[in-house]
Amino acid sequence: MMKSAIALIGAAVAMAAAPASAAGDVERGKAKSAACAACHAVGGDWNKPLQPEYPKLAGQHADYLATALTSYKQGDKSLIGRKNAIMAGQAAALSAQEIQDLAAYFSSLPGPLHVKR
Amino acid sequence: MQQRPADGLGSINAAFSGPKPIFILSMNKLFRISALSALVLAATFSHGAAAQEGPGLGHSGGKAAMCIGCHGIPGYKMAYPQVYHVPLIAGQNPKYIENALKAYQSGERKHPTMRSIASSLSDKDIAELAAYYGGDAK
Repeated sequence: MMKSAIALIGAAVAMAAAPASAAGDVERGKAKSAACAACHAVGGDWNKPLQPEYPKLAGQHADYLATALTSYKQGDKSLIGRKNAIMAGQAAALSAQEIQDLAAYFSSLPGPLHVKR
Repeated sequence: MQQRPADGLGSINAAFSGPKPIFILSMNKLFRISALSALVLAATFSHGAAAQEGPGLGHSGGKAAMCIGCHGIPGYKMAYPQVYHVPLIAGQNPKYIENALKAYQSGERKHPTMRSIASSLSDKDIAELAAYYGGDAK
């Protein structure tokens, strides 16, 4: 009885801690990434953005990428929103699940991004 | 007269018996000149070292010191207002880093912590940080 109560509480906590959408799927993200590639991956190389102003996405933390995409989508409506004409348009079309999928795909790719002190 | 050893010291000592005040004055000047040269050399050297290490790394007061508390720790997560990994910034495009910091300054990017940090940076600081973290260099 006690054990099942603890298990129930544990499950409730785990559910509360889980993100609103399921974890990203790399293959689904890859399938959705064509629109992103036009600016972020010259010749399909995700370490070669079209312009020096555009970020490299390969190997970036998935949860950061998802947060960034969401912040472009939210614009002024979020405490951590971002205003960017291009990215606002791109992110507006994405569901929360698609954002997770894309983030998972970009994060899975090898790239030069790293921690430096 | 006392016999001096023929080791060169004798001739130096002998020089003091000549026009002493003038000699001391010129020694003084010589000292000032060499001290000045040493200063210039030291300044040149430390400038070169700073350029190699990046802005302020290894030097207190460097602007990168503000970044490493979060971006220099592998796996570090932001706790407010949401929990997620802070982005990897080393190896990123320098121009993107520069634009991002300026977007925090202007408010186009609203993240409170980054806004407060970026607001303390000059254009020169931002250019140096972008060069330090940006590019493919490890």
